[in-house]
Amino acid sequence: MPGKSYQNCIILFAACLFFLLLSGCGEQQESKTGDVPVRTPTRTLKLGLIPEHDIFTQKKRYAPLAAYLSRRIDTAIELSVLSRYGNIIDNFVSNGLDAAFFGSFTGALAVRKLQVQPLARPEYPDGTSTYYGMIFVRKDSGIHHAADMRGKRFAFVDQATTAGWLLPLHFFKENGIADYRSFFSETYFTGTHEDAIYDVLRGKADIGAAKNTVFFRLAQSDSKVREQLQILVTSPLVPANALAVRRDLDEALKIKLQNALLQMDQDAEGRQILQEFGARRFIPTTENDYAPVFAYADKIGLDLATYDYINE
Amino acid sequence: MKKKVFIALLILVFCFSGGGFYIVRSIEEVITNLENVITLHQVEFLRKDLWNKIKVVQTDLLLKDSPHALLTDPFIVHVEEMEKAARICQNCHHSEEVLQSLNHFQRQMDGYIKMLSRVYTVRANQARLAEERDTAFSMGEKTLSEVEQIVITSSEKISKRITRARNSIAETERLLYFLITAGPLLLILIAYFFLKQFTTSVDALLDATRKIQQGNLRYRVKEELPDEFQVLGSAINIMASSLTDQCQRMQQAERLAVVGELAAGLAHEVKNPLAGIKVSIEVLANELSLEQEDREVFLRIINEIHRIESLLKSLLSYARPPEPETSPLDLHQLLETSIKSVSYALINPANTARLIKDIEIVKDFSPDVPPVIADRSQLQQVFLNLLLNAIDAIPAKGTITISTRKESNHTVQISIADTGKGMSPENLHKIFNPFFTTKPKGTGLGLAICKRLIELHNGTIHVSSAPGEGTTFYITIPEKLQLQGITP
Repeated sequence: MPGKSYQNCIILFAACLFFLLLSGCGEQQESKTGDVPVRTPTRTLKLGLIPEHDIFTQKKRYAPLAAYLSRRIDTAIELSVLSRYGNIIDNFVSNGLDAAFFGSFTGALAVRKLQVQPLARPEYPDGTSTYYGMIFVRKDSGIHHAADMRGKRFAFVDQATTAGWLLPLHFFKENGIADYRSFFSETYFTGTHEDAIYDVLRGKADIGAAKNTVFFRLAQSDSKVREQLQILVTSPLVPANALAVRRDLDEALKIKLQNALLQMDQDAEGRQILQEFGARRFIPTTENDYAPVFAYADKIGLDLATYDYINE
Repeated sequence: MKKKVFIALLILVFCFSGGGFYIVRSIEEVITNLENVITLHQVEFLRKDLWNKIKVVQTDLLLKDSPHALLTDPFIVHVEEMEKAARICQNCHHSEEVLQSLNHFQRQMDGYIKMLSRVYTVRANQARLAEERDTAFSMGEKTLSEVEQIVITSSEKISKRITRARNSIAETERLLYFLITAGPLLLILIAYFFLKQFTTSVDALLDATRKIQQGNLRYRVKEELPDEFQVLGSAINIMASSLTDQCQRMQQAERLAVVGELAAGLAHEVKNPLAGIKVSIEVLANELSLEQEDREVFLRIINEIHRIESLLKSLLSYARPPEPETSPLDLHQLLETSIKSVSYALINPANTARLIKDIEIVKDFSPDVPPVIADRSQLQQVFLNLLLNAIDAIPAKGTITISTRKESNHTVQISIADTGKGMSPENLHKIFNPFFTTKPKGTGLGLAICKRLIELHNGTIHVSSAPGEGTTFYITIPEKLQLQGITP
């Protein structure tokens, strides 16, 4: 009898161990299931960004917006930050971009060269959805007119920007500066509006050109920008950086993408992201909105359809 | 013993609880130390990781404008990873000083990142491009050197902390070994202490019971035993004393039975011839014309015959006392009667108006003494005997004090104390023995009969006396006599 009870004990112990192992496995499976995301989009939309700010900040700034749109349109969005404004025209095709947030000039170029379709652009908290370019100097530079600029250093942004290139060209033309390269001791392209502003502020350049939205955003966080820089010239208003997609993109996706942007301000999460992005909402945008840019380019004498900013 | 067991249990509980608590604390401490070591290794890894990531970015920077240059996106990913690695450092808990240092480092890192972006976005003449790249690279090198410094410093600190943690773990290990060794030893010591006390005491008690069982009733437990064992030893001693008393009583009873048989036979054999002799002597004394001197001889013979008859009667009374004839009686009244009877003994036969001794009899009767159920004549015989002894013991002048008292256990105590000459201790032990007497004409049966009669009433009689300090007899009898048969 004792032997029998000993066997029973072993069987009972083995059964307990078995059930424990089973329950452990069950928990593991549950935990694995719990880790699996709800749904993974199967499609990917490649979205290009111009270096409005430094390339890292620019990516961080657009990342929440991209994540939001991705959830809304059920499509993964891959951000591609380009080191130069003009790259976005070149890379739109070569890198297989589906869409991009174009600057006003690159947007106009893309409409003309790539036949992209603008969908929406941000409206800022002050109700505007445009920006303008400005030429600025240090207040203590002694530069007040074009004539004072001779032999100085000029920091452009990029040859594919309205504020950082078209405006200076227009300024040169109006002030009779036929060959800016010989007029200035040095000209160069900072690549970003932010760097153009800071280069002038820090004395790396004497004159700079950049867009007002970046200028005033920097001025909010750095008082020296407003205190030490003086704006000499401004450009006409041009549309803010807008999202444009390639013409042959799936129509349904285009509509979803545009709707998602236009309806962002209608939900709390969207409003939060818009606030962080620095916008109130997105508004519909068409090719017609680029009319001021086309007109401005015409004034300067640029044919956007054939304009090769790299050769320039 | 209960107290000791309780204290020992408390000690054990305290030891086990304390030991358990300490072990749990030690394990927690070891776990904390191990977690610290792991965290420190993680920190070391993170810092080295940061160093590697900066190195990767620096390499990207050097390769820029070369055929091996990366595209912008992978470069951005590298910078993002570097920035993430740098931010991890700030997410940990640090002292204010370290936090300030990290903030400084973070600002430097932010500047470096801005500069990296600039290198990738700027288009200018070669000199400016080279300047921008050199500036970014030197900022990277400075950041790298700072991380290296942090890695070196932290490695030293981490190494020290790891050593401390290991020492702490080793110390905990030693203490645990000590507890594992000392705990059972303590248990063994406590167990040994109790077993020793228990077995020693039990052995002593067993030895005593064996000796008493073997008939050595005089054996007593004399060892100093602990706690309840001492109480048990005392109980065994009391039991042995009781057994001794019982045995003595039984022996006494047996002796008395023998004496009784002897006395009865002797009395029967002597009584009738003695009566014949007495009658014959009385006839001869009356019928013969004798001289006065001869007549006196006859009278002395008759007196001696009376003495022999009295002796025989006493002997019979001692050896085979009659069964008590119980009735409710007032002890105080009985004592009063006895006192009255003995007071005649104090009257001088030559001059009845005078007393032979100046003795004051003091009565200290307690009013709460209840009536007792006993044999009136036997008790009176006892009281008379003791009172007469008291009178005899007082040389010329003294006091006899008779006291009564109700005892708590349904008994009554009667004491008769005199201020006489008292007794020596040797005599004191023998006074209740038959035929022991200090009187020239005593039979030595008076007190023996008294003791015998009191015992017939299930009572006790004791005496206390010292030479020159008088004698006191204490009689204790139950309020109600329960007859259990009388020993013949």
